[in-house]
Amino acid sequence: MDSKLLKPVLAVYVAAFILFLYGPFIVLGILSFQQGPEGGPQFPIIEWSTYWYRHLFGLTPPSRIAPLPVGEALLRSLTLAFMTMVTATVLGVMAAQAFRRRFKGAGIVFYLIVLGMMVPGVLTGLGTSLLANNVVGVERHWWTTAFVAHVVYTFPFAFLVMLAILNRFDGSVEEAAWSLGVSPARTFRKVTFPLIFPGVLSAMLFAFTLSFDEFPRTLFASGRDQTLPLAIYGTFSVEIHPNIFAFGVMTTLFSFSLLAIYGILMGLSVRRAKKIAMQEDIS
Amino acid sequence: MAYDLQLKNVGKVYDNGTPAVIDFNLDVEKGEFIAFLGPSGCGKSTTLRMISGFESVTTGDLLIRGQRVNDQPPEKRPTSMIFQNYALFPHMNVRQNVRFGLEVKGLPRDEADRKVDGILDKLGLLDISEMPTGRLSGGQRQRIALARSLVVEPDILLLDEPLGALDANLRKSIQNELKLLQRELGITFVFVTHAQSEALALSDRIIVMNAGRIEQISPPRELYTRPQSAFVARFIGSNTIIPGTVVTTAGQTITLDTPFGAISGTNRIDIAHTKGERMSIVLPAEAVELIPGETDESELRGRFGSNVIPCKIERLQVIGHIMQMLVRLENGDTINTEGHVDKYRGRLTVGAPAYVAWLPGGATMIA
Repeated sequence: MDSKLLKPVLAVYVAAFILFLYGPFIVLGILSFQQGPEGGPQFPIIEWSTYWYRHLFGLTPPSRIAPLPVGEALLRSLTLAFMTMVTATVLGVMAAQAFRRRFKGAGIVFYLIVLGMMVPGVLTGLGTSLLANNVVGVERHWWTTAFVAHVVYTFPFAFLVMLAILNRFDGSVEEAAWSLGVSPARTFRKVTFPLIFPGVLSAMLFAFTLSFDEFPRTLFASGRDQTLPLAIYGTFSVEIHPNIFAFGVMTTLFSFSLLAIYGILMGLSVRRAKKIAMQEDIS
Repeated sequence: MAYDLQLKNVGKVYDNGTPAVIDFNLDVEKGEFIAFLGPSGCGKSTTLRMISGFESVTTGDLLIRGQRVNDQPPEKRPTSMIFQNYALFPHMNVRQNVRFGLEVKGLPRDEADRKVDGILDKLGLLDISEMPTGRLSGGQRQRIALARSLVVEPDILLLDEPLGALDANLRKSIQNELKLLQRELGITFVFVTHAQSEALALSDRIIVMNAGRIEQISPPRELYTRPQSAFVARFIGSNTIIPGTVVTTAGQTITLDTPFGAISGTNRIDIAHTKGERMSIVLPAEAVELIPGETDESELRGRFGSNVIPCKIERLQVIGHIMQMLVRLENGDTINTEGHVDKYRGRLTVGAPAYVAWLPGGATMIA
């Protein structure tokens, strides 16, 4: 294609992409500074204020607008995301490790695992709760059925990340350790794991963020105590006030700080990975 | 005699049914330097990996110091392996790399430290012992791999193309070091390579492999001068193979009838061969003399018997002190020959007629 035409087209495309990606967040961010408590969730901004942020933390005088019932839900979601992250990452690492050797039925097992991220979430959620209620006899809770549904959903992501990492992993360092008389278990702890750690971090990030804002699976599977996305959705159905937006801004900032932690840890590992790369260049 | 390493009818068949190693028999004495030599895919690395325990043995028995180790995992075997890419632990510095194998041996801390220092010193690595391995040169990394493997005091050191990643000069110097080290330590070395010069320079015995089978087991000199099969003759050195039929057998010397008349060579395999049998004669490049065409042929026949063939000089090439010559026979075949430059300089011209000639003792008969 003519590059004279291609460049502007691509520029417009990227601009549109960025607009759709960040536009909602920017609108949300602006509206969160609406005047309170009378100001509504729409333009124009009557007067800039941090009222809704204070409202969020219960620092405003009582008004007709109830504080967001998110405190416990937030804690629940964080705990659930953490549990999911640990479980899915451990499973993902182990499964990917197993796939380094060809075994009978490897292809089928692969697709069975990956199915977890393909099937419609509502079905998984509904299915999990039906299974728990009617077959297994487990009560529906965010830490039982929803937890299982979350792990089933995030495990394939962790698995695929680890599969890609282990694909590039040079197994001869493990063989070298074994041949020195070091047991496979210790070799994994001391050699393999430190070297695949950047991948493990990525898998953890995937699992945590996916679980944290999971909606369709949790909707049916979480039982009576709601997770954060459900609690927020619940407030929508009554009336929308800018406190939701303030809360959205806060959670986004929280996500960014997670990303920052990830970035720092990754930076440390990448510096090490660069050394490895250099080593490979020489050899 | 107790052997350090024995392979008895060892075979390896991969899961998909491809045989990788077939009926491998070998006894290795303690302190021997053994080389597995062959083209890639001949099964030499697979055999090494079976000895180390990384590959399972399909058939036969693998014994280390008289003990059957077929079912022992690699970490339980008294072997240690050096990899072509060295496989150093990138997240550890030099000392940590070397110390890693000792940490599970349950040695007192100061004894382990002493051993690590000792081997670092021996291999000249003390100065860089606290450095990360990433920025070190190939030669240094090679030495770290050696130190790491030797510090755990294996009975057998396995080396998988350990010099393959080094440049030519470094390869030579590390070759020498390796040989000295092996002499000094008295450890059995099993060395895999596809470079004949390495195998010939380093080892006490060379096992030439082809398509999963052993072609020949010989000390280097013998392997070089007395190949036992056409494969070895083609793989080692620079040989010309001329087929023919047996005319006479006189002691060690067999005479063949060939398109170039009756020519003779040494029967190494010591089996009586009957008249009319198909055999070939192997002419090593350095055993063949090239003689300018103006020489009197009957005088040559006096010296070389019937082993004189007229030819035309096709190419002359001087590499250092060696003159490499290619000649074309009357039937279009070519023969490689070489010799010291001083012997040939100024006496030969490309395109001129000449003779190739050899003494029967220099040529080897193969079936």
